Amino acid sequence: MKFIVLKLLALFMIFSFTSVSANTIHSTETLSTHQEETYKSQPLSEMIGGFLNSTGIAAFMHPDPNELSANGSKMSDFHKSWGRIIMILVTFFLFWLAIKKGFEPLLLLPIAFGGLLANIPVAGIAGDHGFLGVIYDMGLSNEMFPIIIFMGVGAMTDFGPLLSNPKTALLGGAAQFGIFGTLVGAVALSQAGFVDFTLQQASAISIIGGADGPTSIFIATKLAPELLGAIAVASYSYMAMVPIIQPPIMKALTTEAERKIKMTTLRHVSRLEKLVFPIMVLTLAILVLPESTPLIGAFMFGNFLKESGVVERLNDTLQNSLINTVTIFLGLGVGSKLASDQFLVPDTMFIMALGIIAFSVGTASGVIMAKIMNMFPGHKVNPLIGSAGVSAVPMAARVSNKVGMEYDRTNMLLMHAMGPNVAGVIGSAVAAGVLISLFQ
Amino acid sequence: METNLVMEGFKFMALGMGTVFMFLIVLIFMMNLMSIIIHRFFPEPMLKEEVLASSVPQDNKKVIAAITAAISHHRQG
Repeated sequence: MKFIVLKLLALFMIFSFTSVSANTIHSTETLSTHQEETYKSQPLSEMIGGFLNSTGIAAFMHPDPNELSANGSKMSDFHKSWGRIIMILVTFFLFWLAIKKGFEPLLLLPIAFGGLLANIPVAGIAGDHGFLGVIYDMGLSNEMFPIIIFMGVGAMTDFGPLLSNPKTALLGGAAQFGIFGTLVGAVALSQAGFVDFTLQQASAISIIGGADGPTSIFIATKLAPELLGAIAVASYSYMAMVPIIQPPIMKALTTEAERKIKMTTLRHVSRLEKLVFPIMVLTLAILVLPESTPLIGAFMFGNFLKESGVVERLNDTLQNSLINTVTIFLGLGVGSKLASDQFLVPDTMFIMALGIIAFSVGTASGVIMAKIMNMFPGHKVNPLIGSAGVSAVPMAARVSNKVGMEYDRTNMLLMHAMGPNVAGVIGSAVAAGVLISLFQ
Repeated sequence: METNLVMEGFKFMALGMGTVFMFLIVLIFMMNLMSIIIHRFFPEPMLKEEVLASSVPQDNKKVIAAITAAISHHRQG
């Protein structure tokens, strides 16, 4: 096609403007000779020297003093050389965790690889014009990706277990103590002069205790975008480490008899109940806390599509292709914030420490809440499902099930634990709404 | 001034946890109410499924009976 057009054009030119066409041909010829003239022949040694200066080794050893970080600020020499090497080793460690240990590989692998790419000198992949930077601007800085993930999670969530045993929602509420407990902790730390967190930053850090990746990213980009990398990595790596962090706390707070409590089988939930539920939660959120409706709205949209049963194609897209696509972008975008100058700072250490405190407090308060509920008459609750109140769907529920099975092989807690688990998602979205309404 | 910020933190905690719990408690009430209403006024089409489920094995039995009868007839014949 192109050729035909070109030929027609050439014919047209030859027949009508012979002189002009001769002129243009002439000018292109002069242009090419001109280009040849500007290229000066160099001695081989100089070429090799120039090439060696552009290698990664040279960039690590003798960083370019004028090189700026991804967000355009100055970087120290440490962050350009050893800092990058350390961060690359950190990403290798994350690979190991994801592949060998199976810690949330779906998220940890894209995040870690994004981190690896973001720490490459010279190429500037995480910069404004690098592809990681473009991905970040595309959906992270405007909170788009976490919202889409929330839709997908909504489409994957089954509220049946919660509907058949509504009181377990309290466990999902109690686990949010992790968030607000950590908020107090972060404020106390900056009061004591260790770090200088503003209230916005403190609340963005504390949301790690909600154990909900998308919510953490949503809040962090809204309240403290400068801490996004550390918060997202802390959030996802602790979510991945739920099977390690939670069991000791659960075992420490319960007696053997309590761990063996068998719960009554769940009643059947009708389709209509499941269909009304998302609208009911959203209505409540609209009335009580409109700030939480972006998260809850997206979540309930996904769930409503699923429960409606008439848009199987959309439901399937949300659950599979869309959430997978967005997960890749979200992971890489978060990984771009693992650049050494943003991650290797003292704040990160405190965020990591506060994050694990948030997780532990959330787990513990869920378990304690279950024990309190057992003091009241009614069906007994196995306190092990309390820990599932931290969102981390469905990991936390699986952990409850696994610990329960350790003590009684016939005690299947998985479905019972899904109740507090999904209530935890709603709870942390509400908590996020409270934080936004307080601090924005 | 020193203790003030931490006290503020505790205030946020009270407010936040209060909201979360209030939200969930209202939700629990609404869930219970909803299940009562739905069970009273919109009793499940579950029954139909049961009818369907029970009718299928009956048909099977009839078919099996017919086949066995045919086989025995064939053998006799």
